[in-house]
Amino acid sequence: MRADLIEAILRRLLGFVLVLLVLSLMIFVLARIVPGDPARMALGPSATAEQVTALQQEMGLDRPVLVQYASYLGGALQGDLGRSLVTNRPVIRDVAEFLPATLELVIITIAIMIVVAIPLGVTTARYRDSWIDNGGRVFSLIGVTIPSFLFAIGLQLLAANFIPGWPILGRVDRTLPIPDGPTGLLLLDSLVHGQGAVFVDAAQHLAFPALALAMASIGQITRITRSAMIENQRKDHVLTLRSFGVPDRVIVFRYLLKLSSVAPLTIMGLEFASLIGNAFVVEMVFGWGGFASYGLTAILQKDLNALMAVVLVSGLFFILANLVIDLILSLIDPRQRRGAPA
Amino acid sequence: MPLLDVQDLNIRFTGYGRTAHVLRDVSFSVGRGERVALIGETGSGKSITAKAILGTLPNNASTRGGIRYDGLDVMAMAPRERDRLKGTAFSIIMQDPLSSFNPVFRIGRHLDDILYYADRRQGRVSGAQDRKARILEVLRRVQLSDPERVYGAWPFELSGGMRQRVLIALALLHHPAILIADEPGTALDVTTQDEILRLINRLVAEEGLSLLMITHNLGVVRQTADTVLVMQHGRIVERGPLSQVFEAPEEAYTKSLMEAVPPLYGPRVTDQPVSTQAPIITMTGVDKVYGSGSMLRRGAGHRAVTDVGLTVREGEIFGLAGESGSGKTTVARMLMGLLEPTSGTIEADRGGPRRLTQIVYQNPGTSLNPKRTAAQTLAVPLAHVGLKGAQARARMTELMSLVKLPESFLGKYPHELSGGQKQRVAIARALAAEPRVLILDEPTSALDVSVQKTVIDLLLQLREDLGLTYVIISHDLSLMRNFCSRLAIMRQGEIIEDGTPAEIFAAPRHPYTRALIAAIPVLTDAEEALKPEITDAERHRFLVTSDTDTNEEGHDHVSTGH
Repeated sequence: MRADLIEAILRRLLGFVLVLLVLSLMIFVLARIVPGDPARMALGPSATAEQVTALQQEMGLDRPVLVQYASYLGGALQGDLGRSLVTNRPVIRDVAEFLPATLELVIITIAIMIVVAIPLGVTTARYRDSWIDNGGRVFSLIGVTIPSFLFAIGLQLLAANFIPGWPILGRVDRTLPIPDGPTGLLLLDSLVHGQGAVFVDAAQHLAFPALALAMASIGQITRITRSAMIENQRKDHVLTLRSFGVPDRVIVFRYLLKLSSVAPLTIMGLEFASLIGNAFVVEMVFGWGGFASYGLTAILQKDLNALMAVVLVSGLFFILANLVIDLILSLIDPRQRRGAPA
Repeated sequence: MPLLDVQDLNIRFTGYGRTAHVLRDVSFSVGRGERVALIGETGSGKSITAKAILGTLPNNASTRGGIRYDGLDVMAMAPRERDRLKGTAFSIIMQDPLSSFNPVFRIGRHLDDILYYADRRQGRVSGAQDRKARILEVLRRVQLSDPERVYGAWPFELSGGMRQRVLIALALLHHPAILIADEPGTALDVTTQDEILRLINRLVAEEGLSLLMITHNLGVVRQTADTVLVMQHGRIVERGPLSQVFEAPEEAYTKSLMEAVPPLYGPRVTDQPVSTQAPIITMTGVDKVYGSGSMLRRGAGHRAVTDVGLTVREGEIFGLAGESGSGKTTVARMLMGLLEPTSGTIEADRGGPRRLTQIVYQNPGTSLNPKRTAAQTLAVPLAHVGLKGAQARARMTELMSLVKLPESFLGKYPHELSGGQKQRVAIARALAAEPRVLILDEPTSALDVSVQKTVIDLLLQLREDLGLTYVIISHDLSLMRNFCSRLAIMRQGEIIEDGTPAEIFAAPRHPYTRALIAAIPVLTDAEEALKPEITDAERHRFLVTSDTDTNEEGHDHVSTGH
């Protein structure tokens, strides 16, 4: 491998570590500045002052914040994220239990985003300024402006009132034999174990939360795909192919689409952050019981260790998602591989 | 019967409720093996004519008139039938080698798709191996020495000259009868352009093709056409054999076009007086290395300028000539103090309160903010020198009269101005802070020849009136010959020759200078005869875009692109 490529990768990784460090320090300090004593909240109003002090000492809350942070970091590096005060289990186990539910939701959301937004962007660009384009514009605008919890509630009401038997809460019908592992992603696990009924049920449960979550980004990505397609349509290389009689559909679906996917993919990486934020709300509405619901409880209960874990894992996923996007982009666009002028 | 016959072609564009009549009663024909040139400035309708023939006009165009190919009425054909002519009857050599390939597809992919669909239209099913063999064969014909590598390369990995060759190969893929060349090579350096024109000429002769050359460059026409059509505002205003149109033009417009081209040799050449005043800026032993501060590769970097020494004297017009990547822009930036040299010294005489340098950029279309009126653009430098309100207003009026624009233009946005007018606003902006030295970075290369001349005349007038000193950067040696009082030729970061233009052009010492001058397209045989002698070996030695070279423009772009 070339020196500059290795250098670029090293630079990125170093950047990620720094981001995670700064993020963890910020949250750590912030969570300790916010009023409210975690020990008191964990023990409840009836506990005595001695009991509270004892728990504070056990949690190390009496030590200086930076010392606490250092010992937390030391533990985290060995895979010990502390205990949750709410579930009274190691946080790492909670993460392992709740994360797959959210991961599944997010993955399906992204899939819906791509499947809806990119074709819609291509179509509106192709029929620019026609009623199709205007319809797409209104649709995008609705997606961008209406908050996702409204979509969530709306879809839930819709299902409850008009689609008999459609599940509106939870991940899966608990009466079904739920497969145990290996990934914790129900769709995948049920397929692995050959349980068609569970798969269908899980898919039904997933559909509306994922759709509600996808709506905001669909609008954004449709618009960006559309403008990228329109901008690239005017380029000389399109004229080159057209002048030599390459059919329009090949120009659009092969040449233009690949070139125009760079911008929406980049945006998708950034949208990932708001996706996680919105997931907190949507999960609550649909009683999803995932990572986001866990995080919300942690925030409200000042469950410090759980809160740290939620923030760090979300941060890690944001970074990983963008790393994957960068990788895809470098596969699409050779110029990004070499650091050549774009 | 001519091969291509265009009769009373009229084209209108409709958009936003308005109709523009862009082509009016255009008639001409191209015979078998004939070379016809369509000359005109921006907006004359020459490229539209080519698109009409090819059938690639945008949807909002309405066409009237007849286009016949080999007796067949092209206009009456069904789209499918018409598509069948693409690549076989007519083929186009695209203008801009930099943007004519989709950057995320390999060169070979473009060629293969084009060949595949062209084959299919002929009812021929071709295998991938067969197509590749044919493509490599054509790539070899356009003198690409390593066709296999070119086939697998990404567009950005090839130099401009190589991409232009691939574009020619594209046009030849399906043995067209008529080659339509839309400004081939004009985006390239002069030596590369010269090579490309030679190549086209050779291919046309060898394969018995007809050529329709579309260009604004009259020198190019002299090399590549037998018959000339001059277009203005969508009409053909003059036509005839090359010698007749060039030696005895009848139309005033044709005459003005010819006169606007700066001569290289002969009685029309202007010699600017040499300045003997005190030096303003002196560079001694200056080096500039870019990008040496990286984490793992300390010391490596792109060497842009090597051991450059020069003196700019008060009142002179100092020219820095060179091809892309020669380092001329870097030198200019160091003269302005925008870049620090890596080693060496730059001394400037900062006597007096006036600012030392200001710059006029190449393309006023991008150097002016489209959202600011001329007045708003001028207000920025004026505020810097402390002029506000009525004072600033008075100075703006003064500046506009200096660049010979009406005062009312202060309220106009760039899109309401023509290219020449925009460049005048850019010049006014540079003058606003009253600099002693004006750096002109290719000040006319984005403009049509006729406009070019008026801008150059204005600059000469301004120098007279305001006692300015100019440093001009350009690749256009015929312009430099007449405009500069002293000239330095740069190649690969070094000054290889300097002196007065008269000395350099009469007896160029460095073989590269000879190659450069020899490559400039000129208007008359008399000038051609006065060019320095150069052997083929020498010509090839100094080509900027040889096959081993990577993308030189890329480097230049990085250093000029802000």
